[in-house]
Amino acid sequence: MDWRVNPAAAIKSVKRVRVLFTLIVVVFAVFIIRLFYLQVIDYGHYHDVAMIDQLKKYTIPAQRGLIEANQGGNIVPIVLNQTVYTVYADPVYISQPNKIAETLAKIIGGNPSDYMGDLTAKGTRYSVITKRLTQDKEQQLMAYKYPGIGAQPESARIYPNGDSAAQLLGFVDADGQGEYGVEQALNQQLAGTPGRVKAVTDINGVPLPANSNNISIQPKAGDNVVLTIDMAMQKNLEQIVKQGDISGKAQGVSALILDANTGAVKAMANYPTYNPAEYFNVSNPDVFQNGTVSHDIEPGSIMKTLTTAAALNQGVIQPTTVFDDPGQWIVDNFTIKDVLPSAGPQSIADILNLSLNTGATWMLMQMGGGQLDQKGRDIWHNYMANDFMLGQKTGIDQGYESPGFVPSPDSNSAGINLTYANTSFGQGVTATPLQMAAALASVLNGGTYYKPRLVSQIISPTGNVIENNGPKVEKANVVKPSVGQGLAGLMQYVMENRAEPVNFDQTNYMVGGKTGTAQIAKPNGGGYYTNEFNASFIGFVGGAKPQYVIIVYAYDPNTSDYAAGYAGELVAQPIFVNLAHMLINNGYVAPKS
Amino acid sequence: MTYSSSVAVGRQRYAVRNHNSVSFKASAKALGPVSNTIILIVLACLLGLLYLSQVTKTNAYGYQINNLQQQQASLENEHSSLQVASARLQSLDRVQSSAPAQKMVAVTPSGTVQ
Repeated sequence: MDWRVNPAAAIKSVKRVRVLFTLIVVVFAVFIIRLFYLQVIDYGHYHDVAMIDQLKKYTIPAQRGLIEANQGGNIVPIVLNQTVYTVYADPVYISQPNKIAETLAKIIGGNPSDYMGDLTAKGTRYSVITKRLTQDKEQQLMAYKYPGIGAQPESARIYPNGDSAAQLLGFVDADGQGEYGVEQALNQQLAGTPGRVKAVTDINGVPLPANSNNISIQPKAGDNVVLTIDMAMQKNLEQIVKQGDISGKAQGVSALILDANTGAVKAMANYPTYNPAEYFNVSNPDVFQNGTVSHDIEPGSIMKTLTTAAALNQGVIQPTTVFDDPGQWIVDNFTIKDVLPSAGPQSIADILNLSLNTGATWMLMQMGGGQLDQKGRDIWHNYMANDFMLGQKTGIDQGYESPGFVPSPDSNSAGINLTYANTSFGQGVTATPLQMAAALASVLNGGTYYKPRLVSQIISPTGNVIENNGPKVEKANVVKPSVGQGLAGLMQYVMENRAEPVNFDQTNYMVGGKTGTAQIAKPNGGGYYTNEFNASFIGFVGGAKPQYVIIVYAYDPNTSDYAAGYAGELVAQPIFVNLAHMLINNGYVAPKS
Repeated sequence: MTYSSSVAVGRQRYAVRNHNSVSFKASAKALGPVSNTIILIVLACLLGLLYLSQVTKTNAYGYQINNLQQQQASLENEHSSLQVASARLQSLDRVQSSAPAQKMVAVTPSGTVQ
């Protein structure tokens, strides 16, 4: 074997190696330059493109707070949350529409033909089959694993008591905003704070934790709200209001029961009403309004209770004073008279019992020193606006509360004395049922105006009490305590002298009241309708002292069945009487002995 | 040049012809640039591998977290459903229509004169 190396061949071989090496270096250099371009120079572009797919941003909705109320001595939830599902179809992937339609009909209800349209729809990839499907039904449906059928979860408010307390609760719209009632007034507390997730995810959307830019903020659930409402009382109130509305043929009825000694609203209801779980099916949005706080109307003769209280407190009349009724007053060229001729001596009790407009005007005159004048108007205005808090919102936790209206005592072109004479018997001034009830309560409890309240506690999701809303004195010494006792006696007299028997045991309980019938003002001015009235009744029930104030407004009842001017007695009074009996018979009122 | 050849060269410096050396002193030899480069590359690879293993491990926890969160959401849903069921059972309409309530009889109210 020749071990000698051929120099020429060796040199050639070295050249080949060098060429190959150069080639490899060039190829690698191309790769490196390209990679440098992609990863360094064009980094921003590719980073952004990658992030579009990989970086996910979610908003995690916060669980809305519960609304609770008293029931049988316990606090029970009356508005809760539950996950419900919107079931949809992507018709492109639906291969067995008949079979799926049968399954849908079996689980959701209805006929298979009801679903065929959605399952075979053309030109859409998202066809909603049903909304608000419960979790158990959603699980039954999803167990079939039909291609093209999906379910999207969402949180919905659940009302275990159906339409009970609908208007005071309000509802939550599709955007998660509270509308009307407590839901609107306390939306901020109930809604909580949504959470936020920003994370790089895998192809299935699962966040990958090993990323320093990930953000994860957990949602903060809303606070729970405990109402002062007694659900059993509420339910009874609703039944009686509904019955009264139907029998009185009214356009609607609002009524509430207020604790006279704390300002706590125990029940408030309106009829007609609606089911808040199906608010989207309501055609007339007027039913969303809680009339007890939003309907400010001329209250009519129930105002005479406050006029009497003011006059008693001023010391210009006594419960035993006798009023020599002239039968009519001419004020600013208008005649103020009563439904029935009333000329002759009348007691203060009969001014209320017979509901004498002339008597109420006379009491206003007494506050002015014997005539309708600026002094009397100023004093009466001060009582209405600053003591009885009319003409301003009470601040109760309800959406769309109305402030009502109290006319200025200063001169106006319409005849200020006539305007103020009208206010003494509840015309020319507007007030909501809640305002009137709170004002009367301030007299009957001895002179303390308690801020009306509907919320007793606000509790955090972890169970800590955030707010404890006890009785809050808005104004003390509204009237002297003796005025409250005097007015209570006068109102008891009225109750005992009704034309229709009311059957209260006044030896063990005290029940007093006052009717009201107010002409309805024409919407664009020009006076009042002559044959359209609102009926009202305000009263109290108690044992040793007035415990609950009850007020009823019946809107525009059909007066063709009876004489105009008696709507209060014939439509609103029976509702009050039934409510007072209900409170006594169910043990809400402790007897005197 | 390998490590062994570098030692051989050192040994040759003392191996004089016909002179049997019984001992020699090898000079102190630092690692060459190639060795250092290779060692650095290997270390970088090891660090990279360690980083990747940790990132993968951490991301694997993401799936565990995701599963636990789904479990939590499912339990919360179940809790809400039970709460709703409980509230429905306590609702006045249901109590009113319950069998015991149906058997109750009205009594004459004692508090009012009817």
